[in-house]
Amino acid sequence: MKVMLVGEAAREHAIAEAICRSSFEPKLYAAMRLRNPGIISLCKRTGGEYVTGKTTDPEFIVESAKRFHVDFVFVGPEEPLFHGVADALEEAGIPCIGARRAPAELEMSKAFMRRLMWKHGIPGRLRFKAFKEVEDAVAYIREYAESVALKPARQVGGKGVKVIADLQAYLSREKAHVKEQHAKIISEEHMKGYTDIEDRILIEEKVEGPEYTLQAFTDGRTVKPFPLVQDNKNAFEMDIGPETGGMGSIAGRGMLLPFITLQEYRRSAEIVKACVRAVETETGYKYKGVVSGQMMLTAAWGPTIIEFYCRFGDPEAVNVLPILKSDMVELCQAIIDERLNKVKLEFEDVATVVKGIAPKGYPDRRDLAKGHPVLVDEEAVKRKGGRVYYASTDLQPDGTILTGGSRLVEIFAKGKSIPEAGRKAEACIPFVRLADGWGVFYRSDIGSEILLKRRIEQAELVRGVYKYRFRKGLVGKTIEWIPGRGKIVLEA
Amino acid sequence: MGSGIVGIYGFSKLWKMARFVYYALLALQHRGQETCGIVTYDGKGGLYSYKAGGLVDQVFSQPETLENLKGWVGIGCVTTVAEKDSSLIQPAIVEGPIRTALCFDGKLLNLKSLRRKVSPLEPRTEAELLALLFSRKLDVGLHPVEAASQLMGEVKGVYSLVALTERGEMVAVRDPHGVKPLAIGSFGFDYGVVASESCVIDVIGADFKSDVQPGEIYYFDEYSIERRQAVKPKPKYCAFEHVYLARPDSIVNEVPIYNTRINIGKILAEEHLAENADLVLGVPETAIPFAIAYAQKAGKPFGLGFVQTGRRIRSAIKPTQFERLVGVQLKLNPIKSAISGRRIVLVDDSVVRGTTTKNTVNLMRNKMGAREVHVRVGSPRIVTPCPYGTEVPEKDELIAAHLSPGEVSKVVGADSFHWLSIKGLVKALGIPRKNLCLGCFTGKYPIPFEDEK
Repeated sequence: MKVMLVGEAAREHAIAEAICRSSFEPKLYAAMRLRNPGIISLCKRTGGEYVTGKTTDPEFIVESAKRFHVDFVFVGPEEPLFHGVADALEEAGIPCIGARRAPAELEMSKAFMRRLMWKHGIPGRLRFKAFKEVEDAVAYIREYAESVALKPARQVGGKGVKVIADLQAYLSREKAHVKEQHAKIISEEHMKGYTDIEDRILIEEKVEGPEYTLQAFTDGRTVKPFPLVQDNKNAFEMDIGPETGGMGSIAGRGMLLPFITLQEYRRSAEIVKACVRAVETETGYKYKGVVSGQMMLTAAWGPTIIEFYCRFGDPEAVNVLPILKSDMVELCQAIIDERLNKVKLEFEDVATVVKGIAPKGYPDRRDLAKGHPVLVDEEAVKRKGGRVYYASTDLQPDGTILTGGSRLVEIFAKGKSIPEAGRKAEACIPFVRLADGWGVFYRSDIGSEILLKRRIEQAELVRGVYKYRFRKGLVGKTIEWIPGRGKIVLEA
Repeated sequence: MGSGIVGIYGFSKLWKMARFVYYALLALQHRGQETCGIVTYDGKGGLYSYKAGGLVDQVFSQPETLENLKGWVGIGCVTTVAEKDSSLIQPAIVEGPIRTALCFDGKLLNLKSLRRKVSPLEPRTEAELLALLFSRKLDVGLHPVEAASQLMGEVKGVYSLVALTERGEMVAVRDPHGVKPLAIGSFGFDYGVVASESCVIDVIGADFKSDVQPGEIYYFDEYSIERRQAVKPKPKYCAFEHVYLARPDSIVNEVPIYNTRINIGKILAEEHLAENADLVLGVPETAIPFAIAYAQKAGKPFGLGFVQTGRRIRSAIKPTQFERLVGVQLKLNPIKSAISGRRIVLVDDSVVRGTTTKNTVNLMRNKMGAREVHVRVGSPRIVTPCPYGTEVPEKDELIAAHLSPGEVSKVVGADSFHWLSIKGLVKALGIPRKNLCLGCFTGKYPIPFEDEK
């Protein structure tokens, strides 16, 4: 058995490890942009190989897979899928875990995703407007926008989203300025060079509430959800600071988070399932691989879709893959053969915490954060009950590991409770540093009781409102009365 | 010097922070009504500043004043001390070695030894002195967190401060005793804010996160945010802050001010119930929660006794007797029909000199026809002025330092007159007594002066 993995982040390190745990004893092969030391060591241990190159190039991936004679390919990140890597592999007769380009549009085009949800009447959708011209977006902002989320219409590495609560009339002018300027920045910077979708800018209604990620395997017929995970996006403790790709994440026992109920989990899974079905209806392609709902508990709907991923989240993957009890290769084969309903997806019943460690300069000045030599005492981390997953790092020919500019490692720990797992992960932090003395940072509050308490309070607040709206039959609509026009019912 | 301070740091250069700082200062107006000022940073022109004597909306009444304060970072301050020379008004700005602006709430207790460090340069105010000391540490290459940490070691005193340099570094510090409040909040992925009170964070639409801990430093620059517990906290939280100074919509030292004031009203009713009274009135504004809770606990109706004229001002912290009197008279126009013929409990927040209480009681009795007036004060007796910068009059002006409650009762013309007990106050606060500064009530101040007086 030979399996090739595409990608080089901590998420792929966790996928690689899960593949290597399989009773099929597969040889691991990898195609990576940077040389992830964790994945390389797994390739070596299992007798596999790795190549480096442009992982978004379908030809490169197909050639590599053919050269290694692999049984199937697992694509970790989204960009190769957006570039048709899955399509090319399947056309070459090589099975692939990862959506084809057409269904991957669920993540690639946020406008496509919103239209799909509206067209099929799927709950948890938000009101939105998509713009092809920045001028139209700016004009719309001037005229109407209050509390909104501004997004690049395409997934651009998770960047470019700005969420502005505009509730104080006395500060509206300042906020309008930021919204207009940001719309221009989306068009001129974030969307620069992307010609694969027509829409440029998405303006959505702004919602508030605790966020969580529902990750799942799907073969297009069955959707099998993983335990819920919550990522923490602010760079700094107590949710202060600019947005990052995620500074760490938590998952609780019993597949749940302490602030999401079983009913909400089930409803979230139903929404994801409905979207997987709808995307097939719309594109004619079965969705095969990983699908993740980046969700929020909102006053409007309860479980609500913020974005979709056609992949695991990162760091969220690192919470769930190390505690996967089922055989990863068996699961992959079931996806390929469309018999996912026949296999069990089981996890250890533990809480997990993942903490990202980033070089100073991340996220806004990656040029400063890049190129620093990494020192990780993996043995010491193991002794403290943690595990290291390499993220944005590049193994050099002389054996040194250099930072790539983003989070350099993610520390995983499990425990009976989230705070216990958090304490274990925390104890591992001192064993990761940069040899040249350049600073690193992480969030000590991830997994802490105080942060959990905040999330629970926030969820309770939102839950109270959405339950009221359910009672009053107000879910999915807004009723307004406008002087001179009368009562207006807005569908949402 | 009593003041209210704020610092707001945008995580994107798109933000124009001056108006946010302006509204923050409006929300801090109760902490100082004599001067105000704003300094901003835009990465191009160094620091922009505007400051003057007067109320916030008067000083910044011209739209272009805020427009000219460019940039995505801003700090600001209101103070209780009138000052004609605008260069002496906070935020203090020192030109070198690194141009630094600084806002400061508190009092330095080793001023003389600190001044010796900067001789022959002559910083003219405490805020200038701190800004200069900080700036010099930066000039020898220290990271601002390290500089602030060293400064905390050298400065003996009671302070919360926020500083902003011409390099776009913002640092906020709360002294190890935490006598003065300081809170931190943020708005999404967009800006962080430190402010004397959490109400500021609400008013500018951000989320309150927590108190800055005593001995803690928060630091912001273009690329990073840091927090350091530089010195172990030795809390001596100012009880007067909770009783009187802070707004009831603020949370200070993890305690909601409103809850404390409700507790005070209840305990006041337990300690000194005016059994014969048939109506409870509060002196606007601070004493209203006391009066509501007193009425609930006593099982007596709460009524509206007074209507304010003109803008809301803190009469007790006005610098002259004349201004205080004008303030009180405008603040307290009594509603005759509510008062006439009633036996009234009048709940006040703090009786300092006794003059305003005397005025009010006389008015109620002589003009409005109250049958009885029982005064209850929601704070213990204030017996000494505050050496840590809170505006409390000198000792010879404090009625409680000189007269017994019985005598005070006669002076103000009340049927009965009682202060809250210190024990009652501590209970209402729910903070261990060892973590409180109760100096103005006990005369015992927990943090020593290092300078000879």
